[in-house]
Amino acid sequence: MFLARSEYDRGVNTFSPEGRLFQVEYSLEAIKLGSTAIGVATGEGVLLGVEKRVTSSLLEASSVEKIVEIDQHIGCAMSGLQADARSMVEHARVESQNYSFHYNEPLRVESCTQAICDLALRFGEGAEGEESIMSRPFGVALLIAGIDEDGPQLYHAEPSGTFYRYDAKAIGSGSEGAQDGLQKEYHKSLTLAEAETLVLKTLKQVMEEKLDSNNVQLASVTREKGFRIYSDEEMSDIVSRLPTN
Amino acid sequence: MAASIFSSNPTLASGPNYSFSQAANNAAAGVKEHSFYPYTDNGGSTLGISGSDFAILAGDTRSTSGYNINSRYAPKVFKIGGDDETGEGAHIVLSVVGFAADGQALKERLDTIVKMYKYQHGKNMSVKACAQRLSTILYQKRFFPYYVHAILGGIDDEGKGSLYSYDPVGSYERESCRAGGAAASLIMPFLDNQVKNNNQYIPGSGEGHELVARKAEPLPKEEVVKIVRDAFTSATERHIEVGDGLQMLVATKDGIEEVYFPLKRD
Amino acid sequence: MNHLPQAWGRPRDDIYGAYDHSYLQSSGPITHTQKPVVTGTSVLAVKFKDGVVIAADNLGGLRKSCTDLLLVNADIWVEASYGSLARFTDVKRLRSFNSTSVIGIGGDVSDMQYIDRLLNSLSITESHSSDGHILSAANLHTYLSKVMYKRRTDINPLWNQILVAGLDGDEKPFLASVDLLGTTFSSPTLATGFGAHLAQPLLRQVVGSEEDVPSITREKAVEAIKECMKVLFYRDARSIDRYSIAVVTKAGGVELKEDEQLEGQSWAFAETIRGYGTQVA
Repeated sequence: MFLARSEYDRGVNTFSPEGRLFQVEYSLEAIKLGSTAIGVATGEGVLLGVEKRVTSSLLEASSVEKIVEIDQHIGCAMSGLQADARSMVEHARVESQNYSFHYNEPLRVESCTQAICDLALRFGEGAEGEESIMSRPFGVALLIAGIDEDGPQLYHAEPSGTFYRYDAKAIGSGSEGAQDGLQKEYHKSLTLAEAETLVLKTLKQVMEEKLDSNNVQLASVTREKGFRIYSDEEMSDIVSRLPTN
Repeated sequence: MAASIFSSNPTLASGPNYSFSQAANNAAAGVKEHSFYPYTDNGGSTLGISGSDFAILAGDTRSTSGYNINSRYAPKVFKIGGDDETGEGAHIVLSVVGFAADGQALKERLDTIVKMYKYQHGKNMSVKACAQRLSTILYQKRFFPYYVHAILGGIDDEGKGSLYSYDPVGSYERESCRAGGAAASLIMPFLDNQVKNNNQYIPGSGEGHELVARKAEPLPKEEVVKIVRDAFTSATERHIEVGDGLQMLVATKDGIEEVYFPLKRD
Repeated sequence: MNHLPQAWGRPRDDIYGAYDHSYLQSSGPITHTQKPVVTGTSVLAVKFKDGVVIAADNLGGLRKSCTDLLLVNADIWVEASYGSLARFTDVKRLRSFNSTSVIGIGGDVSDMQYIDRLLNSLSITESHSSDGHILSAANLHTYLSKVMYKRRTDINPLWNQILVAGLDGDEKPFLASVDLLGTTFSSPTLATGFGAHLAQPLLRQVVGSEEDVPSITREKAVEAIKECMKVLFYRDARSIDRYSIAVVTKAGGVELKEDEQLEGQSWAFAETIRGYGTQVA
């Protein structure tokens, strides 16, 4: 495909004669360089898991934040340019607070995802005449996990502004292998505990480093506890539960 | 909360009385102030009562300017979020009384917000959400308020009737009954007694402090309709700004039903 | 004689009092219309089975009660005691819009002329859209109510009360009012200004409610309006006996007559009035 590259990949506002927006396509490529992130939706709640890529023994692993809270009932995992994700998450947080200020009830997960995708398209002018606020598309994809009156849900949002709902989804460099793994193992009656091992097992298969409780992170969204990042102790427990091979 | 902001009875001084001063802002030396006053009181009264599985909002249909009757049919109760002409599909009711132009503007704003909400979030707005939103709308105009007493009604997430009443700047609470507008001070005590059973005691239950108060229980719909009609026929007798017609919107799980009864036109 | 030439031709302080310079101030808050200057009063309208009749007299008066302003020198406005001057006697206060509506405007005449221009440009843009849809009286009323409410909200009101008469989207009779505060209402009979006191009760005797409208003929409606115009001329000091009247129907469109003379006057009743001036008992 890179042979077909032409002058049409310089601007975000111009289609190529084949009807493609190259900059948007490149932004999707940026995600394929990112660390792997996985989300699994179960009846009990949604589980998010990420690989942390602790590249140096001198790196403080707890400072790598790839799963963050948007609101008490929504969280997200990211893959790609982390800095871009910060502004998306910030936007989603404001949107969520604004919604509950106005409506005295929590924002729905789909509406939250939609709000994020609205922002993702702001490299062009907005629909209501807003000026373009970014020079390029975001270079990050998000897995948005949350719970609302329709139960636990998982969404995948791309830099192109499109989003889909998944039962289970993997993004990032190991996504292809991981998605295959999820496809085989996922079933509707999965418990949250089973999802924990499924996510870690899948991550283990696609990670370059050897998985330990230090270089992966899990988080869940459940009806009882809302969004919650797993503590170091919980991580060790689950990692030790994994089958050794 | 929701202290009566509009006059209850016109005083016997000369000329038509308004609830708020219509006098010009007499300028202190130098600067000449506007003498245009952007509010008026169009009179009329509203009332809302909620039951176990319904909510009723009612209002008289008279519109006044001072001692003049503008119209004998100017509705104060509206369906929110439904078809523009028929109101079909609506599940929330709103009543506004006070300055009619502000009431109209407020109703139209809330209506579009409820419709946009459905497009954006793919579900009907809950009455609780709508109640909070109405409060923020009113408060956003804190320094140039919508001069209205609003009451919002519908069915809550549990299927119970719900009713919220507001002051002009957005302070609100959920209540079982509330009267608003010109005859609020005439109707509210009647409601306290007949709906909340205030000052009612069980006969022969004891002497003095031993006397047992009658507990309030949710009333059946037919009973509430009777109370509303009595409230308005009485208010029509005692208040010159109330009369002509009584319009009721009854919200149940099946939708909103409209009822009309004539009132005295004198 | 005053020996200061710059004071010649100007109102004398010993007669008129010192000039109030606050009118001239250029600093301070932005001020808008505070009082109407040239005004018209009553507009009357009534629905009948096929349409609406609307009328207004052709008077534009200067109002004493509103501090009449008279231009004396180029830069000075002076208060003048001209009383209730019947200044303009050919002010047309009805105008048609499309073939479906007539509006009647009471209140400030300059603001009426502004609304007239506004409707002219609306009419032009609408006819250029050429989608075949024409604005009904109901559409026009909604438009005017938004204009009026916007202006009151800006504390810069258009000092009028407007009656919109005609046919709605379903070609049924339509009659509604909007005033300087943006307040709107509709009724089978409407009257503005002094007419609200004098004519409205009489019109309501003819058409008491919306249910009566289908039984009212055009002739009956026109007669009722003319009778009310006569009563107004008898009892409203600020009225004259020349008036405009319009009938809007589906069949006939807008039939507007702008220079009608009040007929069948009888001032016999005046002789029986006692208790004023030198007349006693």
